[in-house]
Amino acid sequence: MSNSRGQDQETPVVAGFEVPRSPDASYNNVYTASEDDGRDPPVVPQHLQHTVLSCPTNGGPCAPLPDPQHVVLNHLYIENREAPRSVVALGFSHRFRSKYVNVVLYKPVQRRGSSST
Amino acid sequence: MVPRFPASGTPGISGDSMEIDSDPFHHSEVVPKMLEADVELSRHRISLFLSTHTAYELLPESGKVVALDVTLPVKQAFHILYEQGISVAPLWDHGIGRFVGILSPLDFILILRELGNHGSNLTEEELETHAISAWKEGKLQLTRKFDGNGSLNPRHLIDAGPHDSLKDVALKLLQNKVATVPIISRDGSIPQLLHLASLTGVLKCICRHFKHSPASLPILQQPICSIPLGTWVPKIGESNGQPFAMLRANASLSDALSLLVQAEVSAVPIVDDNDSLLDIYCRSDITALAKDRAYAQIHLNELSIHQALQLTQEASATYGFFNGQRCHMCLRSDPLHKVMDRLAIPGVRRLVIVEAGSKRVEGIISLTDLFRFLLG
Repeated sequence: MSNSRGQDQETPVVAGFEVPRSPDASYNNVYTASEDDGRDPPVVPQHLQHTVLSCPTNGGPCAPLPDPQHVVLNHLYIENREAPRSVVALGFSHRFRSKYVNVVLYKPVQRRGSSST
Repeated sequence: MVPRFPASGTPGISGDSMEIDSDPFHHSEVVPKMLEADVELSRHRISLFLSTHTAYELLPESGKVVALDVTLPVKQAFHILYEQGISVAPLWDHGIGRFVGILSPLDFILILRELGNHGSNLTEEELETHAISAWKEGKLQLTRKFDGNGSLNPRHLIDAGPHDSLKDVALKLLQNKVATVPIISRDGSIPQLLHLASLTGVLKCICRHFKHSPASLPILQQPICSIPLGTWVPKIGESNGQPFAMLRANASLSDALSLLVQAEVSAVPIVDDNDSLLDIYCRSDITALAKDRAYAQIHLNELSIHQALQLTQEASATYGFFNGQRCHMCLRSDPLHKVMDRLAIPGVRRLVIVEAGSKRVEGIISLTDLFRFLLG
């Protein structure tokens, strides 16, 4: 988030290497037609399944997890539990300097009579 | 008459504190007298190390940390901590976008006592909907009774940053009398929870650093009976004037919980009729009562400590947690470095000093005692 803002403001401009303007043709695409909505969404990339959040901590809470692969960093995961459930676990892995932090937050599920959470 | 956490803050090491009436050793060895200069040098070196290293070093390479939303019902929180095998979790308030506190075993002990207290408003059905935030509000009223200085506001989060020095983290833990301090990074727009720091982690850093140069900390070779450290049974070591709390296995759980709350100790040794050590009951064992909702079926004064300890053992077996030794012990003749290495094991917060062979309890040394001594 803050990174991209920083790059726009701080990247020095070198002659011959200026970022080219986007071609005008890329701005006149037709807004997605309704038939696109009927298709299934794209499949989740397989590599995202390799999260370390579901690794069992068999050494107790103090045992460290394996290093998460860089491809799963900064993706928000939700725990797979059968409905009905009153608590949901959300987790994500991110990097802090040169170490990894895997955070899990337990939240209550809002009951509104619908099955979606 | 209430057993208190030992305060080994007395800096002067006078000769008379090391007199031991009967000869405790098989081989009548003279207990080496601890030199004041050694203590000062060791303290200085440790202080220097802690001031020049930061909380970032406490983080594991890939660590997991669990947080709870503050609107979760207390009962669910209890079960989550039990299933995850943790005893403490920071609380996240989504409404204001920051961490607001910590849920600890002491909260559960107080809740269970409230449940058993017929005059209270809290019933078991209400536990289903009673949110953690509501409990913390109500706790303010309860803890006023126990808290000597009313200035400690339970809603105010005590945390540390990853760039804070280890010394600041240790002092924060000691001065606020808490076992855990969350390390939270405030660099970005959202506070990021990085780690839960405890004195165990700081001690591990110290041990790792000084492992290869034991001579730089001369105090490490001293046997612990010669150091004003820990709480001892009055006849054996120097007594700090406070009675030493122990319980029999058939004592009721409510007695144990009362001790844990009022005496401000985090564990009570369980002994047999000869004062030999059987087991230890800690505050964090309270989460085992979530197994099969045991807390609902029992009345605290009907459950004995022995039965409560069985629940803890079953809990460890069910979730496959590392069922390491529950009671870590040491002898009074053990040198300080051995005590420090044992206290640096994760999950060990105190060592029970026992007599060789008979396992008679002679005293307790906790992480807090150790750090109060090392930091002066």
